[in-house]
Amino acid sequence: MRIAWTLSINNIRRKLFRSFALILLVLCLSFAVFAGGMTIMSLQKGLNSYTARLGADVIVVPNNATSHGAVDDIFLQGITGNYYMSGRDIQKIYGIEGIEAISKQFYLTSAKASCCSSRVQIIGIDPETDFSIQPWIQDTYQGKMGMGDIIVGANINVPLSRTLRFYGNDYYVVAQLSRTGTGLDSAVYTNMATIKEMAANSVTLLDTDAFNSVNIDTAASAVLIKVKKNKDAETVADDINIHITKVEASSSRSMIASLMSGLSGVSRVIGILTGIIWILALVILMTVFMMISNERQKEFAILRISGASRKILFEIMSMEALLISSIGAVLGILIGLVIVVPSASILSGMLQLPLLMPGLMAMIMMIIGSFALALLATLIPALWSAHKMTKSETGLLLREDA
Amino acid sequence: MKLVAQKISRQFFRNSQNTNVFEAVKETDFVLEEGKISVIVGRSGGGKTTLSNMLCGLLMPSSGKVFLDECDLYALSDDERSKIRNQYIGIVPQGQTGLSSLTVLDNVLVPVMMYGDPETKKEEAMTLLYRLGIDDLANVYASDLSGGELRRMAIARALINNPEIIFADEPTGDLDDETTQIVFQLLRELADSGHSVLMVTHEKDALEYADHVFEMKNGVLL
Repeated sequence: MRIAWTLSINNIRRKLFRSFALILLVLCLSFAVFAGGMTIMSLQKGLNSYTARLGADVIVVPNNATSHGAVDDIFLQGITGNYYMSGRDIQKIYGIEGIEAISKQFYLTSAKASCCSSRVQIIGIDPETDFSIQPWIQDTYQGKMGMGDIIVGANINVPLSRTLRFYGNDYYVVAQLSRTGTGLDSAVYTNMATIKEMAANSVTLLDTDAFNSVNIDTAASAVLIKVKKNKDAETVADDINIHITKVEASSSRSMIASLMSGLSGVSRVIGILTGIIWILALVILMTVFMMISNERQKEFAILRISGASRKILFEIMSMEALLISSIGAVLGILIGLVIVVPSASILSGMLQLPLLMPGLMAMIMMIIGSFALALLATLIPALWSAHKMTKSETGLLLREDA
Repeated sequence: MKLVAQKISRQFFRNSQNTNVFEAVKETDFVLEEGKISVIVGRSGGGKTTLSNMLCGLLMPSSGKVFLDECDLYALSDDERSKIRNQYIGIVPQGQTGLSSLTVLDNVLVPVMMYGDPETKKEEAMTLLYRLGIDDLANVYASDLSGGELRRMAIARALINNPEIIFADEPTGDLDDETTQIVFQLLRELADSGHSVLMVTHEKDALEYADHVFEMKNGVLL
C-alpha cells in the first residue's frame, strides 16, 4: 500500500493538469447526481406535504377566482388574490348531499406589509370548524388564537417585537409554522374575527371596492369540504358545479393528479438527465483513463520490473482513482449543497411545483449515494484500464516502449 | 543462485489475425552461473532482449522452462513471481526508465516500497547514488534528469535490494566513457562477490569484464 500511496499522491501533485481535469469531471458528475437527486426528493416531499396540508376532498372557490389564479396556485406559488363568494352561495353548498364537514377560509391580500418585501396572503380560518390548516397549526401552537393574534408561515420574517402591521393595526405573532415547500409558507393565518377586522380596515384605508357585492361578515374565499365515506368527491364537486352557478368546485384528487403528473414528468426528466450525465461521465472517464494508461505503460513496466505484482498495480490505479474521485465528489456535493438548498424556492417557482428539502437523514443518504456513484464512475474505468494494461506481458510493454 | 533455461523459445505474431508467426528466440538452453558475468552480443532484432526478458521472468516463453535454483519460474503465480523478481532479480531495462513524478531517491527506493520499509534502505540508496555519481541529484525529480542520469538511476534501482541475479539490457547506452567504465566496474565487483550478471550490450568494452560471451543471431544463441 505504501507504493500505491506514494505514487498516487505524487502523481496527483506533479501531474496537475491531468488531476485537475479528472477532479473537475468527477465534480460535475457528483454535482449532477446530488443536485438531481435532491431536487427529485424535494419535489416528492413537497408534494407529500402539500397533499397532507390540503386536507380536503373538495375545494370550492368563486368563479372569479380563476382570474386571480386558481386555488392551487395560491397554495403552491403564494399567488395572492381577493375573491369572495356570498353567504347565500355558501349556504347552498351546505345543502349538497354527501358532505360530512365544511370549513370556510377568508383570503385577504395585504397592501404593503411591514414584515415582507412582497405582499402576503392573509388566510382567515374558523379554528372550531377548520380541518385543513388547524391540525398543522397544532403541531406548533396548541393555544387558542384570540382577537389580533396571527400565525405566520415559515417564509415570513418575524421582527423581535413579534408584531406585524396590517391595514393600520399591529397584530401579534403567536407562532410560526414549519416549512411546507408550498405557497402556504408565505401566508399569514388568523381567525375569522381578526381577518374581517382587517378587511373592514382595508375598505376604510384603501377605499377598495372588493367588498361592494359581498357582506364581509358572511362571505368566504374558499370552502373546503370533507365528503362522507361512502361518497365520491368527484360526484360532490360535480353536484356543486351543477347546482351553484357562481362557484367552481374541484376535487383535491384531480388537483393532486395534475400535480403528480407534473412531478413525475419533471422527476423523469431530471432522472434521465442525471443518468445520461453519469453514463457520459463514465464514457469520458473510460476514454481518459485509457489515454492515461497508454501514457503510463512505461510507468507500469518500470513497476513490474521492480517486482510489482498485478495486484499492486491494481492498488496503485485504485488508490489514485479513489483520491481523485473523493476530492471531486466532495467538492461536487458541497457545491450542490451551496446551490440547491438556498435556491429551493426559486426552483419551486420555476417548476411550478411544491418543493421541500428532505430531512437530515435523507440528505445524508443522498450525500453517501452521490459519493458512491462518483467513486464507482472513476473506479470502473481505472480498474478496467489497469486490467487491460496488466493483461499485457511486461516484456511486451518494454518492447512497445522501446 | 543459479538460473537455468531449458529449451526456451518465443514466438510473436506480426498481425492481429495471429497468422504471421515470427520466432524471436529459437529453442535455446542457457545457464547463468553464480559469480560470473555473461554477456550477450549481437545485432539489433537478433532476439537478445527477448531472451533476457524470458530469463528474468518478464516474458513467458512459448515453450520450455526457466528454473531459479529448483523453482520453475513460470509455474509460479504472478504474486510469487513478482516477489521473487523484487527480491532476487535486479533488472536494468533498455531505454530511459524513471517514474517522472518521483524524486531520484524515491525512484531508487521503489522496489523497497513494494514489500518493505523504504526508510531502512535510504542510506544504501544514497551510497549507490554516490557510486554512480548522482548523489547530488537525490531530491531532483526524474523528469528533470538527462538520459545518462536516468540510466544511472535505473542501475541504482535495480541494485537496491541487493539482488543475487542482475539483468542489464544495454546498461551503458546513454553514458559517457568514464561512467561506462564505472558501471562495468560495479557489475564486475558484484559478480566477484557472488552475484550472477547477464548483460546485453553492443559495447565492445563490456567484453573485457565478461566471463562468458554469447552471440545472438536470428534468434539463435551461439
